[in-house]
Amino acid sequence: MAEPAYTVASDGETTGEEKSSSSFPEIAIGVDIGTSQCSVAVWNGSQVELLKNTRNQKLMRSYVTFKDEIPSGGVSNQLSHEHELFSGAAIFNMKRLVGRVDTDPVVHASKNLPFLVQTLDIGVRPFIAALVNNVWRSTTPEEVLAIFLVELRVMAEVQLKRPIRNVVLSIPVSFSRFQLTRIQRACAMAGLHVLRLMPEPTAVALLYAQQQQQMIHDNMGSGSEKIALIFNMGAGYCDLAVTATAGGVAQIKALAGSATGGEDLLQNMMRHLLPDSENLFLGHGINEIKLMGLLRVATQDAIHKLSSQDNVQIDVDLGNGSRICKVVNREEFEEVNRNIFEKCESLIIQCLHDAKVEVDDLTDVIVVGGCSYIPKIRDLVKHVCKIEVYKGMNPLEAAVCGAALEGAVASGISDPFGSLDLLTIQATPLGIGIRANGNRFVPIIPRNTTMPARKELIFTTVNDNQTEVLIVVYEGETEKAEENHLLGYFKIMGIPPVPKGVPEINVCMDIDASNVLRVLAGVILPGSQQPAVPVMEVRMPTVDDGHGWCAEALHRSYGSTLDLVTVQKKI
Amino acid sequence: MASTSSAFACFGSSSAHFMGHKVSIKEPSSVPTSVQFRPLRVSAACASTAERPVSHIASPASLYEVLGIQMGATCQEIKAAYRRLARVLHPDVSSSGQNNATAHEFIKVHEAYATLSDPEKRADYDRTLLFRPRRSFAVSASAASMASPTSSGFSGYTRGSWETDQCW
Repeated sequence: MAEPAYTVASDGETTGEEKSSSSFPEIAIGVDIGTSQCSVAVWNGSQVELLKNTRNQKLMRSYVTFKDEIPSGGVSNQLSHEHELFSGAAIFNMKRLVGRVDTDPVVHASKNLPFLVQTLDIGVRPFIAALVNNVWRSTTPEEVLAIFLVELRVMAEVQLKRPIRNVVLSIPVSFSRFQLTRIQRACAMAGLHVLRLMPEPTAVALLYAQQQQQMIHDNMGSGSEKIALIFNMGAGYCDLAVTATAGGVAQIKALAGSATGGEDLLQNMMRHLLPDSENLFLGHGINEIKLMGLLRVATQDAIHKLSSQDNVQIDVDLGNGSRICKVVNREEFEEVNRNIFEKCESLIIQCLHDAKVEVDDLTDVIVVGGCSYIPKIRDLVKHVCKIEVYKGMNPLEAAVCGAALEGAVASGISDPFGSLDLLTIQATPLGIGIRANGNRFVPIIPRNTTMPARKELIFTTVNDNQTEVLIVVYEGETEKAEENHLLGYFKIMGIPPVPKGVPEINVCMDIDASNVLRVLAGVILPGSQQPAVPVMEVRMPTVDDGHGWCAEALHRSYGSTLDLVTVQKKI
Repeated sequence: MASTSSAFACFGSSSAHFMGHKVSIKEPSSVPTSVQFRPLRVSAACASTAERPVSHIASPASLYEVLGIQMGATCQEIKAAYRRLARVLHPDVSSSGQNNATAHEFIKVHEAYATLSDPEKRADYDRTLLFRPRRSFAVSASAASMASPTSSGFSGYTRGSWETDQCW
C-alpha cells in the first residue's frame, strides 16, 4: 500500500531501528476514544506503553472546540477553565451520538448538552452544531471524532518518530455494524486505517489473558482455564464480557452492552437538583447554555466526590437569580440513579446466563472504566458475582492497553518471551437476521456466535405466484423487526410463478476473519439442483444515513407483497 | 442450526457457482483452486504444532477426529484440543493470504467443539455416531468437495450441522 501523504516535521530525523520499512511490519497503535476521555497506547517492544501529550497527560478529554478558525481537540488544546467546555463552542460526547438517528432515545437524552443537538424525529441524522460568535456552526460526530483522532495520531507520530497508519480501536459492545462504519469513516478522515474494532471488554479480556500467561511464566499461576467476567462502564456505555482464558487464548463466551453510563448518572442527578432543567434548556439560548454548563460542572464534581465521601455540599449560582445550595449524600445519589444500577445488575445476570456460566465458575471479576470508582457499582458487581474485584488492572487504562496488545498481535509482531503469544476468539455482540414472519426479526447468526461464522436459514414465499422477495437485514435483539438496526435490503427477482410456500429461499450470512458481513440469498425450486435465479451476494451494511425512514418507506410501498416466512425445520 | 438435507443439496450446487465468482473478484491468485491442496496445507501446519494426523482433515471425520481426540476424551481434553487448534487455524494467527481457508477450518473446529463441549449435545451426537451408516459420510463429503472449490462454501457449514442435526 502507498505511504500516507501525511508526514510529521521530525520525520527527517528518523534513522535506524525506528524507520518503518516494508520488511519490518508497522506496529498498529491501540486507541480508546472514550465518551469522556481518550488515550493511545503502543507495544514498545517489551510491554504496552501509554503515550502522553505535551502536557504529560495519558488520558485526554474527548472534545473539540470550534471557537477559533481551526477547531482544536482535547489532545492539544488547553482549557483555561472547565467552564470553557460548556460555552456552546465545544462539542463532546460524540461516541454517544455517532451513527444514531434522531428517533434514538440516546440522541434525545443528548439534547440538553451545552451545544446544539436538534432532532426532527423522522429517522434522519440529528443536526449537531457548535456556537461560534453567535452562529451555530454545523458539524457531525464523525468530523469531531476525526479531529481528535488526527491530534492523537500526530501526538503518537511525534513520540514514536514514525508515521502511524494502522490502529486498533476499542468500541462499545452495543454498537451496530452501521455505527462501526461511522467509526471507520472518522478514522479514514483522520488518515488512519482500522486494523480491528474491538469491543472494549474483549480488549480487557486480552490484557487479562496476557497477565495470566505472565503469571504462569513467573510460576505464580496455574495453567488451568480461568473464567472471568469483565464489567466496563464509562461515561457513555456499560459493556460486559465473559471470557474463558487458558494458554494466552481469550475465548469470548458472551457479550452484553448498553448505552448506559456516567452521562446518565449525571443527567439524573442534574434533574434531581434542578427539576425543570430540561424545559429551561429547550431554547438553547446563550444564557441557558451557560446555566447548563454551570450545573453540569457542579454536578459532575459532586458525583466524583461522592465516590470517596458520604456527602457533598453543592453550592452553585446559576446566574439567573436562582441558586442551588444543597447537601447531597451518597444514598440520595444511589436512589436517584436506581434504574441505572438495576440495569447494570441485569446486564451482569444476562451476560453470565448467555455464557452458560454459574457464579461459582468465575475465577475473577474485573471492573474497569470511569464508573468503576463508584462504590455502588463495585458493590453490585461483588454482590452478583460473590467474589472480590480483580486488582491487577488500572481501570482507566485497561481497554487501551488491550487494544495496543491486539495491535501488536494483529501486526504480526512476535515477542521472544512469548508475551504476544495471544489470541482473542471473538463473538458477535448482536444477532443478525432478516425481517420475516410478518414484521418479526428472525436472527440467522444469533448473538454470541463465535467469529468467523457462517449460518443459513431457509425461508419461503407468502403469496401465490410471488416472483420477488424483499430481504431486509437487521442487527439487534428485539422481536419487532423495525426496532433493530437496519443494515440493508435487497430484492430477489425473477422467481418462477409457483404456489406460496414452494420456493426454498436460502439466506446465508457470513462473517469473515476481518469481521466483514456478507449476506447471500438463493432460490431453489423443488426437484432442481440449480438455483432458479443467480445467487445474490451483498456486503453489509449498505445503508447510509436516514435509514430510520428507509424501512418505513419500504413497508409503505410494498406492504406484505414481497414478504417471507421461515420454513419449519424438518425433524 | 436449521439446515436440512435439501438445503444442503440446494446450496451445495449454488455456492460452487457463486463462490467461484467471489474468489475471482477478491483474491484471484492467492486462493487455492483445488480442494486437494487446501487440506494438505492446513494439516501440514497442524502436524508441526498441533500434531493432528493429515487424514483427519483430508477425509470427512467425526467431530472427535476434527479435534484430533479420542471418543472418550474428557471435557478438559476437548477444551485443550480446541485451543491448540485455534492457535493454528484461527484467521488472526494464520498468514494473511490464506485467511479464507483457515476461517473455514476454524469454523469446522468450532462447530465440533461447540457440540462436544455441551454434555447434552455430545450425548446426542455420540448416539448418532453409533447408528449412522458410514456410507453417508462419503456422500456428504464428495458432494461438499465438488460443491465448493474454495474454502468457505455453504456446503462446508451445512455438512457440519447436518451431522449434528440429522439425528434419526
